[in-house]
Amino acid sequence: MVSEITEQYLKIIYNLTEDGGAAKTTDIANALGVTPASVTQMIQKLAKQGYVSHEPYHGSALRARGKRIAKKIARKHRLLERFLSDMVGIETEAGHDQACRMEHGLSTEAEEALCKMMNHPSTCPHGKRIPKCERAVSCEECANVALKLSEIEEGRTATVSHLVSMNKEELCRILAMGFVPGVRVAIEKRLPLGGPIIVNIKGTRIAIARAMGDVLRMVEDT
Amino acid sequence: MEIALAGNPNVGKSVMFGKLTGIGVISANYPGTTVEFQKGEAKLGDMIIDVIDLPGTYSLSGNTDEERVTTDLLFSRTPDTVILVADASRLERSLVLLFELLESGYSVVVALNMYDLVKKTGLKIDVAGLEERLMTSAVPTVAVREDGIDALLREAVRLRPKSGFRVKYDSHTEEIISELVTMLDEPDWPFPLRAVAIRILMGDGRVRKQAGGRITERADALAEDFEGQHKESIQAHIQRDRFGEAGRIAEEVVSRIAPAEKRRSSLSDLTLRPSTGIPILLAVLAAVFLTLVFGGGMIEEVLVDSYESVARGAFDNLKDGESPAVQGVLDGVYLSIEAMLAIVVPYILVFYLMLSVLEDTGYLVRVVSLLDGIMHRIGLHGRAIIPMVVGYGCNVPAILATRAMGSKRERVILAVLITVAVPCSAQTAIIIGTVGNYAGAQWALLIFAIMMALLAILGFVLHRTMKLEPSQLMLEIPELRWPTLRQTIGKTGLRIGEFLTIAFPLLLAGSIILEILMAEGMLQKLVDPAEPFMTGVLGLPAITIVALVFGILRKEMALQMLMVLFGTSNLALAMTSHQMFVFALVMAIFMPCLAALAVLIKEFGVKGMIGITAASVLLAIAFGATANLILGL
Repeated sequence: MVSEITEQYLKIIYNLTEDGGAAKTTDIANALGVTPASVTQMIQKLAKQGYVSHEPYHGSALRARGKRIAKKIARKHRLLERFLSDMVGIETEAGHDQACRMEHGLSTEAEEALCKMMNHPSTCPHGKRIPKCERAVSCEECANVALKLSEIEEGRTATVSHLVSMNKEELCRILAMGFVPGVRVAIEKRLPLGGPIIVNIKGTRIAIARAMGDVLRMVEDT
Repeated sequence: MEIALAGNPNVGKSVMFGKLTGIGVISANYPGTTVEFQKGEAKLGDMIIDVIDLPGTYSLSGNTDEERVTTDLLFSRTPDTVILVADASRLERSLVLLFELLESGYSVVVALNMYDLVKKTGLKIDVAGLEERLMTSAVPTVAVREDGIDALLREAVRLRPKSGFRVKYDSHTEEIISELVTMLDEPDWPFPLRAVAIRILMGDGRVRKQAGGRITERADALAEDFEGQHKESIQAHIQRDRFGEAGRIAEEVVSRIAPAEKRRSSLSDLTLRPSTGIPILLAVLAAVFLTLVFGGGMIEEVLVDSYESVARGAFDNLKDGESPAVQGVLDGVYLSIEAMLAIVVPYILVFYLMLSVLEDTGYLVRVVSLLDGIMHRIGLHGRAIIPMVVGYGCNVPAILATRAMGSKRERVILAVLITVAVPCSAQTAIIIGTVGNYAGAQWALLIFAIMMALLAILGFVLHRTMKLEPSQLMLEIPELRWPTLRQTIGKTGLRIGEFLTIAFPLLLAGSIILEILMAEGMLQKLVDPAEPFMTGVLGLPAITIVALVFGILRKEMALQMLMVLFGTSNLALAMTSHQMFVFALVMAIFMPCLAALAVLIKEFGVKGMIGITAASVLLAIAFGATANLILGL
């Protein structure tokens, strides 16, 4: 188990070296709000553990072992930022601070669910790229886990993950009905002969044509 | 002072309007009854307040007909106060629309309607808390019982500071909004620039047009960039934040004080489950049809008989010694009144009563959902089933009922199908009275089968040629509830009134003209030139054209005319079974009656009426000629 402080350092170095080069000790100190002396001490420790390589007067760079951990933490951090900004509406800077604290406690499972729920965002609110997860499946395959409304059986509940529509009017119509990302939908009945599907959103029953419903991508509740 | 009523469909808005103004508005327990807007006056003390009833909408984005009407009205009339009629038992949904109204800077009062339902379901709303959060007033109301209406009106006319409540969107969306706001000029707009920016992003056509290319292009670029980053459209984000905020507020102000009552939805479920819903539907349709054909027929007989016994003598006395023209006018008046008694009361009144009950219970929405799949194959959606069923009774209310359809083109398709391929009760009477009686029931059934096939084929062909994707069904299904007697009677009365004012003057004028033609002997002159056509093409006696012409006035008169023309009530003496079949088939498709023509003009304009009429005449002739050829082999 890697300590939180190690994760924090590795992430900062990852941030600083993302575009290549090495991370200067002063920059790391600034980013973490600590003194350069304590950074130097920590870097030496991390180098000893094989996470980073350090060249005096040049800076620190991640080694494969450190990079793996750093990438994962950066991914969690940026996903959380996206979540706090998009889904919760927290201001970007406040979101950043909170994400810094939350990222260490976030399980891999939660991280995957978060990514799926937000439909695989590629960048964080600051515009930085969100590293891909380590799983063997591609994002497209992973996205296909989301089902169309008509693929869900009667009696199940599912959460809208995202909407796929080329037609803005149709999209707005369906959004206005309350089919927004994150909303829980109970599939009550599927009417025969390609008829509509009757769903329930928070006590409101809606009959929705199949083709219209297939604009919705849902993740079935387990 | 002007007040506008806004709200989601099916929240009791039209009832509220009726109670505020005393004007009856047809409301139905299915969404989308108010496509045009209604205007009335409310009185508060000495003050007269104009009240407009906006169509029910879920949003102000201007993406559906209802939304466009609503946004246009709000935009052009800028009412002093907007009353948002909310279904208090499902507050969240209404709050979303409220947010949009507040965002656009309207002074809004919330009517927490159906407040009785809140208590009944064991919930409690912290009204003061809601007012505090929304920074505006909220008044609990129960429109059907007239509770809280006065308080609402008093609140609506009071001056109040505009609510400062705004939904906060996610930071990226806010950034985009701020950027767009800097590109806009305050004096150009009747509502806050923030709302303008949001509407541009949401795709409101009119606002985008007014904003101009530079801003909309920038907005689209920003939205595209947003979508690239978030893998989700900015519209989805905006709506999601609105619903999120609505959910949060609802959660804060609505609390449960009693355990939830078990939903009384067993019957409701039965009507929706295909295995039980379809038999229920068939039973209901059969009941409606039988009531119309038999019940209506019986009422018609009684009414017409008593009318004839009372009025005939009087009219005959009046006609005595007058010129043919005057006699023609008198006959016209006499027949028009008879026609109204024979059609309006037995068929239309009875039908409207039943329709009103079906609507108010919320059953029709279920039928619509149940049949949507089938209707899609002929280019319509489930909603079309209502006008079609209505059409088997009388085409006039059926054409009026096409208003419930989503688009103009769907309405046209449906109106064509109804006028051409749905035999009304009078046409049914002709089919039964000629072919059914003399040639045998199987031939009558064959005509009905041909009509059904025509309906399906015509629907399919129109669907294909008009290249119209039927708008996808999406509607709210309200709980089943009992209709109230008052509402049923009120609504039926309004509809009958609407029908009378359209149909009766035309029927009167038409009858008088036809009668004068008859009296002057001009109608007979039509017969001779028509002979080659009637006999040559349709294989019918030339004189039957008079019956066809009279059929325009009133369909079942064609049958009566045949008997008058041939001087016998035993048609078998004058026409062969073959001729009767052709005649009945032609009559079943043939052009709409005068009353139907009148509503076609009202709903689709003269052009639309001529097009639909031409289609039905041509098809009638084509089918008649084909039947004549086949039977002649």
